[in-house]
Amino acid sequence: MLIYIIRRVLIFIPMLLVISFLVYGALELTPGDAVSALINPEVSGRLTEAQFNELREAYGLNKSFLARYGIWLANVFQGNFGHSLAGGVPISTIFLDRLPATLELSVVALLFSTIMGCILGTFSALKRGSIADSSLTVVGMLGVSIPEFFFGLVALLIFALNLGWLPVGGRLLPGYDSIWDRAPHIIMPAMVLSLMMTAGVMRYARSSMLDALSKEFIKTARSKGLPEWRINLMHGFRVALTPVVVLIGFRLPLLIGGSVIIEQVFQWPGIGNAFIAAVRGSDYPLVMMIALFSVFSVLLASLVIDVLTALIDPRVRLN
Amino acid sequence: MQAAHDIALSVKDLKTYFYTNNRCNKAINGVSFEIRKGKTLCVVGESGCGKSVTASTIMQLLPALSRIEQGQVTYHSDNGDVEIEKLERDGQEMRAIRGSEIAMIFQDPMTALNPVYTIGFQIGESLKYHTNLNSKEIRERTIDLLRDMGISLPEMRVDDYPHQFSGGMRQRAMIAMAMSCNPKILIADEPTTALDVTIQAQIFELMEKLKTEHETAIMLITHDMGVVAELADDVAVMYMGNIVEAGTVDQVLRNPVHPYTRALLDSIPVLGKGKDQIISPISGSTPDPYNRPIGCQFAPRCSYKTDVCDVMPEEVNVDKTRRVMCWNYKDLLPNGE
Repeated sequence: MLIYIIRRVLIFIPMLLVISFLVYGALELTPGDAVSALINPEVSGRLTEAQFNELREAYGLNKSFLARYGIWLANVFQGNFGHSLAGGVPISTIFLDRLPATLELSVVALLFSTIMGCILGTFSALKRGSIADSSLTVVGMLGVSIPEFFFGLVALLIFALNLGWLPVGGRLLPGYDSIWDRAPHIIMPAMVLSLMMTAGVMRYARSSMLDALSKEFIKTARSKGLPEWRINLMHGFRVALTPVVVLIGFRLPLLIGGSVIIEQVFQWPGIGNAFIAAVRGSDYPLVMMIALFSVFSVLLASLVIDVLTALIDPRVRLN
Repeated sequence: MQAAHDIALSVKDLKTYFYTNNRCNKAINGVSFEIRKGKTLCVVGESGCGKSVTASTIMQLLPALSRIEQGQVTYHSDNGDVEIEKLERDGQEMRAIRGSEIAMIFQDPMTALNPVYTIGFQIGESLKYHTNLNSKEIRERTIDLLRDMGISLPEMRVDDYPHQFSGGMRQRAMIAMAMSCNPKILIADEPTTALDVTIQAQIFELMEKLKTEHETAIMLITHDMGVVAELADDVAVMYMGNIVEAGTVDQVLRNPVHPYTRALLDSIPVLGKGKDQIISPISGSTPDPYNRPIGCQFAPRCSYKTDVCDVMPEEVNVDKTRRVMCWNYKDLLPNGE
């Protein structure tokens, strides 16, 4: 098991290299560069081409594409992730600032959606064809098909603007950082973020559970005289869990890599928010690092899925 | 008729219907039989004739869209008779009987075991719910059971998962599970259909041993006449939800008096007769259960058909042990009877 995990982690390195090159190349193809984005258009109109080139030289943008990529890569390998072009802040500092906020939001959303999704999905499967099941199906379809920014805006309108129960955005106010001060801020973004995932997990858990319950071993369990709860939970749900874990695992990087839209809607100071700002400003060192971080979390999540399925399902062997 | 204390389970005029898409499938349409203690009753018939539904009805393991319409299933336990059809489907009394008094083994051992639990855990579950043994005793008993079923190194194999067992071993594990609480009745629903012939023989040997050692009554569902000849004490032949002929194995196999039984036996190739032997398959096919013949269900395919066959025949007792459902059975009786 351990050897398997180590081997998988080593494979990460070449994959990250390839992807970093692709992202770097894609950035190169976007119109404009950091200099043109940094400078106010009113000012840039009065600058001469020579002055532009001087600035580009200062930022190291005049070298060839491959040379710049090489320099960037060498720095990364030395642990120097570079500075944000926009504020001159070291990128590691940006990550340290932003990551806790993103993780906080993701963990709450992931826990909530997993637990609620599994409970509702299982309930739905056990009460198949009932009114409760049908209404959950409709809610699930709505949750999956309506985009999350729409939910976010509607929630803001109702709970923050009309009712005034919850703050409009942000994570915490300076000086108020007890858990009771923080909780109202996270409720809305976390709920909106989990809504879609809950719907997805629920639909998946339902069909997976129905599939498990139709298996022959459920009849065997019943023929042994086991009580219904044990048949449903220990024999049904346990088997239904494997595909659900895979689904949740695939959602994991989406949550870690910054729930870009939700963070934007609620002005949540996380990675996703920083990402949008960086892309707008052609802040390529920051874009690179966030993109690589997302890739890394995808790879990590797939490893976590493999390990988890092996733990849940004895038929899966990792050797 | 047998004395009551010899009988483990009696079924009287049982009707089980399935309801799908507003249509009613009369899967079992008035079936009566008895399972004797320490004897094997073989139920034979084509696919879809109601064999498995009969077994499921006894265990109340029917799907949700089906109902016992009529009749009695009486389990003659040591503590008096229990009317199984009156018990709540998954209620406590029914659960107390399942697995402990009446146990069942299924057709396909590949799918009948839960893939995510060890063999030992799944056998132990029965013991946990039907006995007062503690977990250590349960483990010991499980190992003993596996050893009795002829699984080598049971101390190690008990912690294996089903996928680490071969097909034959899984069916042995299933039998160990079924026999764990020494049930009075064992229902085996085509237990060897999914296994190869050598394993099949071993499994039947094992069931034979259990029958003689524990006085277990066995209801064996099969469509293999060879198995019937080998194992059965009594035989019931089913067709379209009815038992068309029932009797001891000698009577039914040697002198079948129902045209269907006779046709069934004629359609089996016999080993040693060579490739020139004449096999006569039954003409036609089983009727659509939603569009049944009016009278005798077998009449459209029957070579003995007469005008009376347009009316459903009653069950007739030919002699003390034998029953048949045919107007013209006398034509099939051997001369002199």
